[in-house]
This record gives sequence, C-alpha cells and structure tokens, in this order.
Amino acid sequence: MLEGILEILIKIVVVLGIPLGALPIIIHVERRGAGFIQRRLGPNRVGPFGLLQPLADVAKFMFKEEVHPTHVRPFFYTAAPLIALVVALLPLACIPLFGTFEFDGRTIYPEVFRSDMGIFYAFAVSALGSYGILLAGWASNNKYTMLGALRACAQMVSYELSLSTAIVAMIFVFGTNDIHGIVGAQTGYWFGFLPKWGIFVQPVAGMLFLVGIFAESNRLPFDLAEGESEIVAGYHLEYSSMKFAIFFMAEYIHMLALSALFIIFFFGGYSLLPGLDLIPTDNAFILPLLQAVSFITKIAIMVWVFVWVRWTLPRFRYDQLMDLGWKRLLPLGLVNLIVTVLFVYFRNQ
Amino acid sequence: MISDIFLTIITMVFALMVVFSKKTVVSAFALLMTMLSIAMIYFQLGTVFLAAIQVLINAGAIAVLFIFVMMLINLEQFQNNREKGKVKLVISAITILIILGVFALIINNNIEVLAVNNIADNSMLLMFDKLFHVYYLPFEMATVLLLAALVACVVITGHEKNAKVELEGDKHE
Repeated sequence: MLEGILEILIKIVVVLGIPLGALPIIIHVERRGAGFIQRRLGPNRVGPFGLLQPLADVAKFMFKEEVHPTHVRPFFYTAAPLIALVVALLPLACIPLFGTFEFDGRTIYPEVFRSDMGIFYAFAVSALGSYGILLAGWASNNKYTMLGALRACAQMVSYELSLSTAIVAMIFVFGTNDIHGIVGAQTGYWFGFLPKWGIFVQPVAGMLFLVGIFAESNRLPFDLAEGESEIVAGYHLEYSSMKFAIFFMAEYIHMLALSALFIIFFFGGYSLLPGLDLIPTDNAFILPLLQAVSFITKIAIMVWVFVWVRWTLPRFRYDQLMDLGWKRLLPLGLVNLIVTVLFVYFRNQ
Repeated sequence: MISDIFLTIITMVFALMVVFSKKTVVSAFALLMTMLSIAMIYFQLGTVFLAAIQVLINAGAIAVLFIFVMMLINLEQFQNNREKGKVKLVISAITILIILGVFALIINNNIEVLAVNNIADNSMLLMFDKLFHVYYLPFEMATVLLLAALVACVVITGHEKNAKVELEGDKHE
C-alpha cells in the first residue's frame, strides 16, 4: 500500500517535473530560434548564450505588480488560468516515457494513470482545453478578450474533428488502443532500414494530426486567438504578471502533450531511435533509459518543428482557417478513415 | 463508499445549479460540472472508456456549444426573463414527476441496473454489449438534462418575437 503510494508520488513528480523543467528551455529555444531564422541574435545577454534569460523572466513575472481590473467577474477571472493549466497538465498522466520493465519482482508502468483506454482519456481531457480560454475571455468582460476567446474556441472545436478522424484511422491500423501496444506495433524495421513508424503507413492521417495539433495549441500559422492588429492581445488581454505567465505555460504544456501524442501515433513513441538499438542492454535499467532518451529526442525535434513553422509560415485569415478545417481537412480525414477501415476489413478477411 | 456519496452530492448540487442559478453562464458551467462529475462516477466504477466518452462528447463538445452560444448572445438583457408563477411551478412538478416515474420504473423492473459495478471491465465488446442492452436507459438519462438545457435556451432567447435578426452572409467567398 505504502509502496504503491510512493510509486505514484514519484511518477507524479517525474511527470510534472519534466515538462515544467523543460519549459524555460523551450521558451529559450523559441526565442533564439526566432533570432536564428530572422538573422538576428535573440536574447544572449543573461548568462552564457542567454540561457539564464528564462529565469530572469520568471523572476520578473513573480515580482511584477498584478493589475486586477475592477470590471471583471472575479471568481471566473481567477479560476480561468488555473483551469487552463490543470487541463493542460492532465493528459500527461497517461503518456509513457518508456516501456514497462521488471524491478524488484514487480512490473513497473511508467504512466501515472495506467489503463488500456489511456489514449481516449488523453484526448478527452485535452478537449477540455478550450474552457480555460473561453472562461478567461468571458470573465475579463472586455469585447476584445471575448472575440479572442470565441475565435480560439471555435478553432479548437473545428480542428478536433479532423484530429479525431486521424486518431480513429490509426487505431484501426494498429488494431489496439493500448499505448504500449501502439508503440510495440511500431518497433522494428521494414526492409531492414525503414522504421515501422505510423507516418509511413498513414501519411495523410499524420498530416491531419500535425495540422490539428498546430490549431489545437493555437500556434502559428493558426494563432487566431491572438492578433495585435485586430483584437489587441486576445483572450489574455486583462491578465498580467503571474496569471499571464500561467496561460503562457499552459499553452506550451498543451503543445508538449499533443506533440507526445503525435509521436506515439506516428513516430513510434518511446521505441528506440535507429542506431540506439545497437547498444547492448544487459542491465535492466539501460533499456528504459534509452527509450526515454529516444522519446525526449523526438519531442525535442517536434518542438523545433513548432518553432520553425512559427517563424516560416504566414498567418491564416479566420475564414481561410475555417475553410481549411471544415471544407478540406474534415472531408479528407473522413475519406482517409473510410479507405483505412475498408483496407483493414479486407486484410483481416 | 465515502467518495460515492461525495460524487453523488456534487453531481446533484451542480445539476440543481443548472436549473436554479440566476445567471445563464453560471448555469452553463454548472452543466459542464455535472457532466464532469458524472464522468468521475463512471471513472470510479472502473469504466475508463465511458468516462472518456462522457468527457469528450458531453463536456468537450455539447457544453462548449451551450457556453459558446450563451456568450455570443447579450446575456444581461435576458437575465430576468424566466417563466414565473404558476406555469413554472406546474412545469417543474410535471418534470420531476416524469423523472421520478422513470427511476421508479428502473428500480421496479430491473434491479440489476443499479449494480453498475458489473461493467467494470475494459473489454470493449463486453462493455458495449452491456451498454446497449442492459444499461441503455441509465446511460441515456444524461440526455434528459441536455434536453432541459435546450428548452431553457429556447425559453431564454425566444422572447423577442418582433425583433429581426439579420445575419450577414459570408462575403469572403
């Protein structure tokens, strides 16, 4: 009993600690990456290569005066950033960083919340992500925040559909909804060199999913939730200091969680990167360690893709965004789903 | 056991808030919380899939739409526009009687329905077999609340009979 509680506590610390600890690094990569792409330096004054800049920012956010506007709805105004952060953290509970392994005669699962239906849980709680934004926009009692929130929410609800078609297609392909099963199905090679990743089986679903996570996490080219020239700042206009920082954190953690899910479905999750599987695994801890390294490397590459896309592609206009979501991606996703289902059905005959 | 009672009380409180709250958006959020606490009950019974579906569909999609629409319309002008007096009383009484009748029906005819612990099995085939045969009625009872919310939306927004609402067409095509 006590051991079980201790195990869960350790898992929670790890699962919360890794993304929260990685946040300053991601933000630093984002700003330096922006500098790199735009041929300027980016923040490079605080510490070596500007690495301590995120710490300075955190200190600034903490000690900044918090302006609490008088015209807001106080309860919902305070609750909104918390809801956004908690909902962004929830899907992490069922994402395994490495495979199961035997320790002390017991099988250790890496997830906090172990279930065959973990993948449904992850998508269900990440569907709640729109509430924090919606609440913030409404509680701020300001037409610009309201417009930003409505835009963000409509966008998230729309792109969830094409995202779901991609997930269902992938679950049909793998024939299982257990995350370890999905990763297991992607371990190994075709023709001796091509990894059995989902992206090579279902490139269309992979594309849909990638576009979907950009839209879900409100990142460029779909960052219509914000817009300096149209709606001042978007849903977080009335928030300052730490409350604003919490929205910022929630957005990045949401992005991380969705990237992790993308990698689980399309890039083999924690399955070893090509090359790492040559290392002999005589010690019981080496394999989980290598798996964690593979998974984190893949996520790091995804984060760089996010930064890269952000500073390369121009923004969409809102009607173009809706057109893309409803008239192009959703029909494409449905056709892809039907073709996949027919293929799987006749293969299993 | 304690958590059962706790969840039941939470669900009931939020469900009552949906009906009795003075502010429309608070009602809508209470609806969301009701959906989430029902999901928690499913979760506690061990049916993770049902809980996920409940969150995904009822909380993630339907309640978002309710809240979305309520935020879009100007709320303050509808604040005091509720049915008052005898009509309200009669409608409430009839609704409560119908719901109690349905529950009485369930308890009388099919005691097994209450032992939901039987479906604490994550095998999908078994679960759906149970869900769409034995437990169909209790599963669908949640929609009664949705129906109530829908009717409330119509009542709240449908009072201006002469006001013309002109929607601007999509001119970007």
